[in-house]
Amino acid sequence: MERIPILKLGEFLLVSIQVDMHDQLAISLQDDLTAKIVATSAKGVLIDISALDIVDSFIGRMLGNIAGMSRILDAETVVVGMQPSVAITLVELGLSLPGIRTAFNIDRGMDLLRDSVAERQENQRVLNEPD
Amino acid sequence: MFVFSLKQPLFARIRNEFPDDAQRLADETWRATLLIDRLGLETTTAFIKSREEIIRRQQQELLEISTPVVRLWEGILALPLIGTLDSSRMQIVMQNLLEAIVSQSATIAIIDITGVPTVDTLAAQHLLKTVAAARLMGADCIISGIRPQIAQTIIHLGVDLTAVITKATLADAFQIALRRLQNKTVTLKNTESV
Repeated sequence: MERIPILKLGEFLLVSIQVDMHDQLAISLQDDLTAKIVATSAKGVLIDISALDIVDSFIGRMLGNIAGMSRILDAETVVVGMQPSVAITLVELGLSLPGIRTAFNIDRGMDLLRDSVAERQENQRVLNEPD
Repeated sequence: MFVFSLKQPLFARIRNEFPDDAQRLADETWRATLLIDRLGLETTTAFIKSREEIIRRQQQELLEISTPVVRLWEGILALPLIGTLDSSRMQIVMQNLLEAIVSQSATIAIIDITGVPTVDTLAAQHLLKTVAAARLMGADCIISGIRPQIAQTIIHLGVDLTAVITKATLADAFQIALRRLQNKTVTLKNTESV
């Protein structure tokens, strides 16, 4: 059975979707990704959907779910490289994915993740500091 | 219609041809009338068709030129909207904006509605949709040029624009966009130097 590869990139995970998503694939991705986040204690997840031309409401919801699960597991999700047609479809379906952060390409997504991780560490430090 | 001006000389001619045959005269006149009526109908149809063609073409052109996407700065796009915002126009606006975001890899898009006379619930909803779609592609949207009356209508209609950054003028929006970009470049430079 085909699977979507999940690559470890420092403290982040990179998921690059290069094939047409179908429902079973999305479900297995969800399983794999959550397992991998726990195994690697990743701080962020980058999902690259620049090769994705078609989404339906199920895949849209799945993206939202994956982001929600990652957040619970203490990893920020950034969806990068969405095609205009996909963006229009998602909005028309009423799925504007409010919980997900987005970026134009992998590069900017990476910057976004780094910033947010740095910010989180800063907050952590401030909290831990005995004043 | 100039076709009907044929009637007078034609009838005169027929009258001259058959001065003493009343039955024939009536028949011929009737046939000529039918013919001219048909001619008139044809010309009218052709005329209307060509005029509609012109109207359609102009409408299309208007649609295309009325939704320009302007590049203000590296990574900043402006979308000055002029005229009423109906469904078909907003569709084109959304498409143009998203394509421009891709081609110029923009991070901030300013939608300027100074030239929009009225905003109804449908237009506001379309605006929100456009903003949401741009956000999905990783670009922030700022809505600017909201005139006092429009601000009042939006609130009276109960449209929720709190999720979107709104500014009164394009200048304000541009300023905030530049500041955001600057912040980004500054932080990038800092990380490089460290």
